[in-house]
Amino acid sequence: MTPAPTRTPDHLTLALPKGRILEEALVLLARAGLPLTMPEKSRALRHEFPGITLLELRNQDVPVYVDLGVADVGIVGKDVLIESGRAVYEPVDLRFAACRLSLIREIGASGTIGRVGTKYPRAARAYLNAQGIPAEIVKLSGNIELAALTGLADAVVDLVQTGGTLRANNLEEVDVLFESSARLVVNRAALKLRRERLRPLIERLRELVAADQLV
Amino acid sequence: MSSPARSAPRSAVQHSSARAAAIPEGTRDVLPPEWAQREHLRARLVEVFGAWGYRGVELPALEYASANHPQDARAFKLIDSGGQVLALRSEFTTAMGRLVQSRFPAGPFPLRLQYGGRLWLRALTSELGRLREFYQVGVELIGVATPQADAELLHLAAAALRAVGVSAQLEVGYPGFVDAVLEDAGLHGEARDALHDAIDRKSGADVDLLARRGGLSAEVTRTLHALTDLYGGPDVLDTAQALAQGERARDAVAHLRTVAGLYSGPLLFDLGVSRRYGYYTGITFRAYADGLNQPVLGGGRYALEGGLPGAGFAVGLERLTGVLAPTLPPEPEVVLALDLAGAALARAAGLTAELAWTDDRAELHAFCMARGIKRMVQGETFTAVDGAEA
Repeated sequence: MTPAPTRTPDHLTLALPKGRILEEALVLLARAGLPLTMPEKSRALRHEFPGITLLELRNQDVPVYVDLGVADVGIVGKDVLIESGRAVYEPVDLRFAACRLSLIREIGASGTIGRVGTKYPRAARAYLNAQGIPAEIVKLSGNIELAALTGLADAVVDLVQTGGTLRANNLEEVDVLFESSARLVVNRAALKLRRERLRPLIERLRELVAADQLV
Repeated sequence: MSSPARSAPRSAVQHSSARAAAIPEGTRDVLPPEWAQREHLRARLVEVFGAWGYRGVELPALEYASANHPQDARAFKLIDSGGQVLALRSEFTTAMGRLVQSRFPAGPFPLRLQYGGRLWLRALTSELGRLREFYQVGVELIGVATPQADAELLHLAAAALRAVGVSAQLEVGYPGFVDAVLEDAGLHGEARDALHDAIDRKSGADVDLLARRGGLSAEVTRTLHALTDLYGGPDVLDTAQALAQGERARDAVAHLRTVAGLYSGPLLFDLGVSRRYGYYTGITFRAYADGLNQPVLGGGRYALEGGLPGAGFAVGLERLTGVLAPTLPPEPEVVLALDLAGAALARAAGLTAELAWTDDRAELHAFCMARGIKRMVQGETFTAVDGAEA
């Protein structure tokens, strides 16, 4: 790990999730004027750029780092943000990594929903309560669709991007909980203390996203 | 030298006492030197509050549980011997309201009181990296609701933080402003609540979503977006004034201008703050310390039970101690006194003197090395501990 150098008062610490969002986020932030490049493949988890420290995290950890103020700014999917329950500012919808969190069942299933498998227990609980469905929730870690196919659960709540996996497995979306996409999240104090740096960044990102939508 | 218990195999000790050594999640032991640092800061704050006329009161940590309590859902509950449900104190303001109503029904107002003590929250805030048992000191200015009273609290907050060496920036909000703007836009019920939440998170995307769902006009949607960007320096008040249609919203901006004028120091504003808008009846404020992404002080204006106006703020001592520990003066040197005369001499010189408990010089020397004591004193003579770094 690279040692943390001495920092100027307007130094920014940026939390990004590993993987696909990282690449798109870096491209967008670089277009918005931040001096960032894709870090070379290495085992480093922290990367230093002029005036910016980049932390590479698991996506569920991005809201934690930003809420507790270890990072000033982050980029994370709305799905993860809702599930985290963290009180961070989310001033820009960056529109990429679009997907939706849906209630999914085997095609034709019509029995009552007694048990729901999901990676999103908080969002699933809120949805089921709002719908008045008194179902048990089973927290799972991956290949959630299998729960509906094997009878572990009567339905699952999971992300849908193209729907390809559902079609291939005889599953269908019964309802959409919410639409998700990547969001810029900002620590509540950092937005105020570093507003000279963050406000222009927010403005620039909004302009870029709006321009991209027109293409 | 060491007792048999201490020389027992470590793994065996850990196994048999694992349960006894554990403390509940979200609680912590406060050890030296943190305890002394915290006491030092507490004493400084209490002194400043006292000099401004805020007299101290102590409140019971046990309260009757009540569904009307703002933290009821998050408070620890206990069952009393008579079957009543008790709650561990989860915030001070409600308890202060109860105290004022029963002990100072006729004031005289304004009534200035300060408090300090621990609070407990059952909710899994430890999951958020926050404690479930924590220590706050704070003040309440009760019975008056003038701009002067609001400005006094801002002045006192700044003075208290200056006294402990924090260079803080105060930020003022007014949750009722957001509510008034939403009311003027014709929003009610659940839609209004959801927008409060979206605006407080400065989530333009959620504002758009709710606006589409509620069929709001482009103009109203623009106004809601403007609320999410309503933070920064004093120019925020000009933007807010332009947004304010109805009397409530205009009054809020006028009140803030008066308070800012009376405060006269630099202030930040965030008129998009709308957390607990039903609870706060006027301004809210926070203090941010440079380089720290968490507020060190927070407060606001509310109505106490019984309808009296109140306002105040609280400081979390854990966070403040964490921020300030590196800046605090070191504790006085500790010396080992071999007799009472030596101890008296050392203490008179401002040192801390621990008394020798045995004549065994080897044991005393070993203790000094382990405890980091560099000097012994006997009678009028200080001697360096052999092998201790000067």
